Amino acid sequence: MTLTTMISTMAAGMLRTTGIFALTLIGSLPLGMVVALLRKSRFAPVRGIIRGFISIMRGTPLMLQLLVWYFGPYYLFGWNIGNWRFPALILGFVLNYAAYFAEIYRGGIESIPVGQYEACEVLGYTKSQTFMRVILPQVIKNIMPSVTNEVITLVKDTSLAFTLAYQEVFSLAKQISASQTSFMPFLIAGIFYFIANYLVEIIMNRIEKSMDYYK
Amino acid sequence: MIIEMKNIRKSFDGLEVLKDISFGVDSGEVVSIIGPSGSGKSTLLRCATFLETIDGGEILYMGEHAAHTDESGNAVYVSPHELRHFRSYCGLVFQQFNLFPHYSILKNIIDAPVHVQHRNIEEAKTEAMELLSKMGIADKADAYPYQLSGGQQQRVAIARALAMNPEILFFDEPTSALDPELTGEVLKVIRQLADEKMTMVVVTHEMPFAKAVSNRVIFMDGGVIVEQGDPLKVFEDPQEERTKQFLRVFER
Ligand SMILES: Nc1ncnc2c1ncn2[C@@H]1O[C@H](COP(=O)(O)OP(=O)(O)O)[C@@H](O)[C@H]1O
Ligand SMILES: [Mg+2]
Repeated sequence: MTLTTMISTMAAGMLRTTGIFALTLIGSLPLGMVVALLRKSRFAPVRGIIRGFISIMRGTPLMLQLLVWYFGPYYLFGWNIGNWRFPALILGFVLNYAAYFAEIYRGGIESIPVGQYEACEVLGYTKSQTFMRVILPQVIKNIMPSVTNEVITLVKDTSLAFTLAYQEVFSLAKQISASQTSFMPFLIAGIFYFIANYLVEIIMNRIEKSMDYYK
Repeated sequence: MIIEMKNIRKSFDGLEVLKDISFGVDSGEVVSIIGPSGSGKSTLLRCATFLETIDGGEILYMGEHAAHTDESGNAVYVSPHELRHFRSYCGLVFQQFNLFPHYSILKNIIDAPVHVQHRNIEEAKTEAMELLSKMGIADKADAYPYQLSGGQQQRVAIARALAMNPEILFFDEPTSALDPELTGEVLKVIRQLADEKMTMVVVTHEMPFAKAVSNRVIFMDGGVIVEQGDPLKVFEDPQEERTKQFLRVFER
C-alpha cells in the first residue's frame, strides 16, 4: 500500500469520524439543555430520573454504553434491528454528551444572579422571554470555555467507535497497521486528530471572541 | 390612590417580617421609607411589586384589587394573566441596578417596551433617547453596562423603569451600592422626577435627601410602621422613642 492510498483511505475514515462528531454535537447540545431544564423540574420524580440518568452516563465508561446500545436490543429483548450499528453509535454518543452538557448548562444557569430574573419579572417579561432574551445569552458566554473542553474531548472520543467496529479513522488505522505491519497509520491518525482539534480551537476561539463585547 | 396596601402580613419560614402593615400612596406623592436594616423595607417593596407574595392583607392598584384576603385570612391573588396588568403599574429600581450586561444601554431600555408592551421600536428608541438625555447620559446609548460607573448604571436602571411608563416607581436603596461621590448624581435625577410629580416610594438612608424631597416619611422597625408624617415633623420632632434612637445615629 502506498502512502497516498493509505492517506486517502484514512481520509475517508476521517470523514466518518467527522460525521460522528457533527451528529453528536447536533444531537447533544440541544438535548443537554432539555436535560438541564428537566433537572430543575418542579416534579420531584422527573428530577430524580434525570439525576439518575446523568449519574449513569457520567459514571460508566462510554465504551460500555456503546456496547449496551448496540447489543442491548438483541440480548435484552431479542430484537434484530437492521443497520443498527451507526444509529446505536450516535445514540450512545448523543446521550452521553447530553449528560455532560446538561451539567455544564446547569452550572451556567445557576451562576446567573437572581437579580437578573427579578429585573425581568418587574419589567413584565414572561418566563420564556426571561430565559431566551436574558438568561440564555449570558449562560452561553459563561460556559463557552467548558464547552470547548468537551468538544475537544469529543473529537478524541470518536475513536471509541472502534468498539462497534465502525470504520472511522482510528479503526482503519488499527486495521491498516496490522495488515501492512506499519506504524505509519497511527501517525497519520494522530495528525488527523490534531488538525481537527486545531480547527476546533480556532472556531471556538472565534465564537468566544464574538461574545467579548461585554463582561 | 395609586397603590394601597392594607394589613399586609409576610413571613419567611416562621419569621414574621411584615406585621400588619398598611400604607397608601397618592398620585404625585413622594414617600421615603427609612429604618434600620432588617426592618422589612425591602420586603415591603418586593410585595408591592409582586416579587414576593403576601401571606395576608390586600394590595390595590388604582382602586382595583390585585390581592385580597379570603375568609380564612389567607391572601388570594388575581390570575397570573391579570397580575401582568397590575405589574405594569409599578416599576422597581434595585440597589444593585440589575442591568442586562449583554445589552447596550439603549437596548436595556427599549427591550421591555418593545417585547413586553409591543411598542413600535422607533418610537421606543426616541423615547429612550429622551430619557437618557434627561438622565444626562445620552452619549452612553451604545455603551455596555460594564463600561459605566455605578452612578451612570443606576441612572440607566431608572430610565429602564421609566420607559415602561409606570404609575409609580419604587426605589430600594438606590444609592447604597454607590461610592459616596456618585450618590449625588442619582439623587439629583430622583429629585428631578419628584419635581415632575412622578409618584415614588424611596427606601433610603440619605436623610437630607428624604427630608428635602419627600412629602411623607415612614419610619419602619421590626416589621411595623412606627411613625410617619411630614418629613420636617418626623426628622425634627419625632414622637416615638424608637424613631428618636434611630435618627440619633445619623446625627453627628
Ligand atoms: N427571601 C428571604 N428568606 C428568608 N428571610 C428573608 C428573606 N428576605 C428577607 N428576609 C428576612 O426578612 C427580614 C427583613 O428583611 P428586609 O425586608 O430585606 O429588610 P430591610 O430591607 O429593611 O433591611 C430580615 O430579617 C431578613 O433576613
Ligand atoms: Mg433592604
